[in-house]
Amino acid sequence: MFKYLKEYRFYIILFLFILIPIISIDTTARAPRDYRFYDKVIVSITTPIQASITWTLESLVHLFQNYIYLWNTRQDNIAIMEENRKLLNTIVNLRETQEENLRLRKLLGFSEEFSLKAVVARVISKDASTEFRTIRINRGESSGIRKDMAVINNEGVVGRILRVTSNTADVVTILDLLSAVDSIVKRSRARGIVEGMTDEACQLKFALRTDDIQPDDLLVSSGLGGIFPKGIPVGKVSEVKKKEYGITQTVEVRPSVDFSKLEEVLVITDPQHSPMHVTTKVKLPTGTTASSAPGPSASPAPETAPKPERSRQ
Amino acid sequence: MTYLIIRALNAPILILLVSIGAAIQTSLFANWPFLYLQPDVILLATIWCALKRSFTEGGVLVLILGNVAEVHSGAPRGVFLATYMAVYLMIRGMGKLVLIDQLSSFVGLTLFTSIFWKLSVLFVLSTLGIGENIWRHTLALMLPWAVMEGVVGTWVFKWFEKFDWVTFKDPRARASAEEALQLDEEGL
Repeated sequence: MFKYLKEYRFYIILFLFILIPIISIDTTARAPRDYRFYDKVIVSITTPIQASITWTLESLVHLFQNYIYLWNTRQDNIAIMEENRKLLNTIVNLRETQEENLRLRKLLGFSEEFSLKAVVARVISKDASTEFRTIRINRGESSGIRKDMAVINNEGVVGRILRVTSNTADVVTILDLLSAVDSIVKRSRARGIVEGMTDEACQLKFALRTDDIQPDDLLVSSGLGGIFPKGIPVGKVSEVKKKEYGITQTVEVRPSVDFSKLEEVLVITDPQHSPMHVTTKVKLPTGTTASSAPGPSASPAPETAPKPERSRQ
Repeated sequence: MTYLIIRALNAPILILLVSIGAAIQTSLFANWPFLYLQPDVILLATIWCALKRSFTEGGVLVLILGNVAEVHSGAPRGVFLATYMAVYLMIRGMGKLVLIDQLSSFVGLTLFTSIFWKLSVLFVLSTLGIGENIWRHTLALMLPWAVMEGVVGTWVFKWFEKFDWVTFKDPRARASAEEALQLDEEGL
């Protein structure tokens, strides 16, 4: 027995090397998945590195945008600049805080508009391969994030949670080929599924050839599928191709979200669809929770806001 | 004894280094336009394992590194394991026919392997029925990406070579260490 094992060792190992990857292929590609314990070890090692690199890059970009551009002015006004150097540093910090504040306010306003309970998270890394377009955020199970939760920002739908660890979560963006968002054209109510295609565009699939879809039409989430609340912008129709025959038409969609500048996102932890629920709780990145109660300044529910009778999908 | 321990640590440290490399790759090249220039550290490590490790050790390392890649990607489970293993076996097979022992031939091999890997990913995704949206994008970016991989490979392979030397994995370093040990034993 051992003699044969030794004799055919190479072929046995070769067979195993071919077999293991093949049996590990998951044919239910779009299904949510879990991290295995050894995956979590890898994530816990690499996440701090990713977070620190992202922070360093962001700081450098902010420094470049807010400080280095002013060097020419300093040459002209060297005396004044010398006096104001300390102030400039403060301004740089304030500007950064102000920009962050503005972005967070937009996110807060958006979640208020749709009456959602959400957690704000920061993007810390993107996919290792250019074929797939997932992102990793710095919030996980400890912040109440679970698989298949919707991820949005103030511009529209970002994606859904694919898997989570205690402090991070992976988000399948709508640009990813594994993503599918049930959407409707806001103007004509034509329905289809938005699937990822390239780094900048998606495709509206299963839209009937007879449906009225025009370039620049806005697509919003339909609320079907139970992940995304109804009425959140998904993208704009950029191109429509209709053949003379066939059942469907080819529709290219530009996402509402600018993925090249995506820094913060909002993970919907509890989509309260009822317009009666206007209390919004958003966990800010620092861990604090901001609440807003209904008041005179609260914006009225938009036309696309979900109705109570169709709140649960 | 120290020499043996350092040598035994080669594989786990290599896995750790490649994981850190993957983390740097995914965060440093996360923003446009660098996204398109993102090298694949794990593919480079796979090539290195195919050329510089025994069949069993290299294969096991490739399986582990494939899993590291899947942790950092939204790819369906098993896709990277299968494609990196295909690359590994292809290079092992090629190694029987072609002499690959210089850095320049490594770079040439990296260019070829990068293209082969992208095509394998496309093939597996098409087999799973999800490749139809991506093939244009993949083919358009294939060559620039392969060139980037080749350029980054020149440095990464040098670092791997140094790492193997320091951990006595390199046959010359091993021979020199053993010779030194023997001379030591003989009191010379």
